[in-house]
Amino acid sequence: MTRTIKRLFSYLFLIIASFISVFPFYWMIVGATNQSVDITKGKLTFGLAFYDNLKNVFTTTNIAQSIVNSLFISIVTTLLAILISSAAGYGFEIFSSKARKKLFHFLLLSMMIPFAALMVPLYRLFSRLNLINNYLAIIIPAAATAFLIFFFRQNTKSFPKEIAQAARVDGLSEWKIFFRIYMPMMKSTYAAAGIITFMNVWNSYLWPLIVLQTSDKMTLPLIIGNLNSSYTPDYGMIMIAIVIATIPTALVFFIMQKSFVDGMLGSVK
Amino acid sequence: MKKILAILLAALFCVSVTSCAAKPNSPTSNTDSVSTEAGNEPTGEKQKITAWAWDQKFNIAALKEAEKIYEAENPNVDIEIVEFAQNDTIQKMNTSLSSGTTSGLPNIILIEDYRIQTFLKAYPNSFKDLTGIIKHNDYSSYKLDFMTIDGKTYGVPFDTGSAVLYYRKDIIEQAGYTEADMADLTWEKYVEIGKAVKEKTGKYMLTLDPNDVGQLRIMMQSAGTWYVKEDGTTPNLQNNAALNEGMKIYKQMVDAGIAKSISEWAQFVAGPNSGEVATVPTGCWFTPSIMAEASQSGQWKIAPIPKLGAIKESVNASNLGGSSWYVLNDVKGADVAADFLAKTFGSNNSFYEAILKNNGIISTYLPAAKTDAYNIAVDYFGGQKIYSDISNWAAKIPSVNYGLHTYAFEDIIKAEMQNVMAGTKIEDALANAQKQAEAQIQ
Repeated sequence: MTRTIKRLFSYLFLIIASFISVFPFYWMIVGATNQSVDITKGKLTFGLAFYDNLKNVFTTTNIAQSIVNSLFISIVTTLLAILISSAAGYGFEIFSSKARKKLFHFLLLSMMIPFAALMVPLYRLFSRLNLINNYLAIIIPAAATAFLIFFFRQNTKSFPKEIAQAARVDGLSEWKIFFRIYMPMMKSTYAAAGIITFMNVWNSYLWPLIVLQTSDKMTLPLIIGNLNSSYTPDYGMIMIAIVIATIPTALVFFIMQKSFVDGMLGSVK
Repeated sequence: MKKILAILLAALFCVSVTSCAAKPNSPTSNTDSVSTEAGNEPTGEKQKITAWAWDQKFNIAALKEAEKIYEAENPNVDIEIVEFAQNDTIQKMNTSLSSGTTSGLPNIILIEDYRIQTFLKAYPNSFKDLTGIIKHNDYSSYKLDFMTIDGKTYGVPFDTGSAVLYYRKDIIEQAGYTEADMADLTWEKYVEIGKAVKEKTGKYMLTLDPNDVGQLRIMMQSAGTWYVKEDGTTPNLQNNAALNEGMKIYKQMVDAGIAKSISEWAQFVAGPNSGEVATVPTGCWFTPSIMAEASQSGQWKIAPIPKLGAIKESVNASNLGGSSWYVLNDVKGADVAADFLAKTFGSNNSFYEAILKNNGIISTYLPAAKTDAYNIAVDYFGGQKIYSDISNWAAKIPSVNYGLHTYAFEDIIKAEMQNVMAGTKIEDALANAQKQAEAQIQ
């Protein structure tokens, strides 16, 4: 009897928790099908305005271009970031040197500097390089992060070093060991790092806002920010833009879900 | 492995191609080099100027209308309009100007009236002095104080945030009051009507958001005072009678249960749209949000904003929000940008007629108020000539220097308002607020 009650409570808790987690998604999707005035009134059922909202968002904003821009920036940054950070993480763990520990601690310290403090000097730097309103200004600062290097280094601890040594004995170069042995074995770690980086870059707002200056270069979050800044916001349009913004991250996550879990646990294939 | 390398190489190739392609069109590619020759316009070649603003249906719609007019007469000028959210323009301006470069900044920028002094004082010489270029006497006087420093006026006043009282005629009548009762109200009478509305109809009189004390701004400006003294920096909280009185009425409205508590903008809009509230005292830019609910057409009216009965300087006119245009000095094209503003926002009645008809934008350009467009009877408001009414009330708005600390001091007041709601005496709360404000500016 007590067990049944306990189970009942845990199911009840799980149902409530699931409802709380799923409700924002439900609200977003329902909102995308309703008119702005219905959304403000809190209508919770599907409406008939989906097509109108979709048409409005594509005709009144530069959203199509911004999706391409966001995808381009996110994909290139993710590829560069996981390549550079994994090489650094691998290097920190595999090769020993006297300065290694100090250098790594120095790297970790850099994680504690808030981005807001770096923004002005970074802007000045990219302005001098004539890279304002250029995607490189977004890609370069994100192409290697202390967190990713740390993440790769921690996961590399589970990489069997004997394999690298054996390969070295067999005459394989360091680059080949990295590309042919380390990379395939650490697939799950790459997947997890890829998802984290893609989501971060896809959602990033502040820095792209600062460096991008023209409509044709804007990313999707900036377009959504603009929609929200109207005196009379069209919530139907905002909701549909958010649905569009959610799709790529959701897709990336669902496709790589299994590897992501493995990667976060630090498993080696 | 080869595949991964191939993808990476392709990606890098794309980056380099994009970056190369971006340079000729990039506004940054020429600004640094021309900063010393700003204002010297090249002759014969196509001149491009850039403007930043927010809201497609409002400010950007006005810019596009102005662009049509100006480009028709000046085919050698291209105006590029870029939309950035209001807070984002502030963030971008601050980063750019504090990094000591105008790289990437636009020629024309829209800035909210409450914020402009901060920029004018923090970055002197960054904005073009428009005295003599724009006839500033043609604008409502309350729009000029905050944009004028040492006799130099830097902006082109744009929209009015003239505060009005939107009210549901049918609900007010059910509560036993008439249209005549709503004219020239005091806040004290407003609370009394609110109690009757709640009692007889079960509806709330208004919504109040504890994180938005815009009501206090309306009340203060109606009496010609602000969070700061006339110098724009000295805190004016402890002995500010209008603020004290405003906080008292705010508390009365909450205690009487006539105010529905809300937490954000969507709920604010939902109040009138869902029929839950009888009135909305706010800036006149709220008209499209009221009109969004087609089923309530004919039931809404507008009246002048209530005044503070206990403060003799208080009038039935005030302001909430509003913004103005500014030209950046050190960005190439400053003179063309000033000319564009002078020939459109600075003098063109038909332009103002068009933006009123198409977008419901009420300007602070006084000659425009005499045009026919302002006499349109609006069916949604039972045939009331709302634009001419708002324009007439706007002319009576007391002038206030918003100074440097509107939002910073307002954060202090918000917290103190919560203490007042919890039982702290208003005098004590304001004394505490004054100390915090003084400490903050030291």
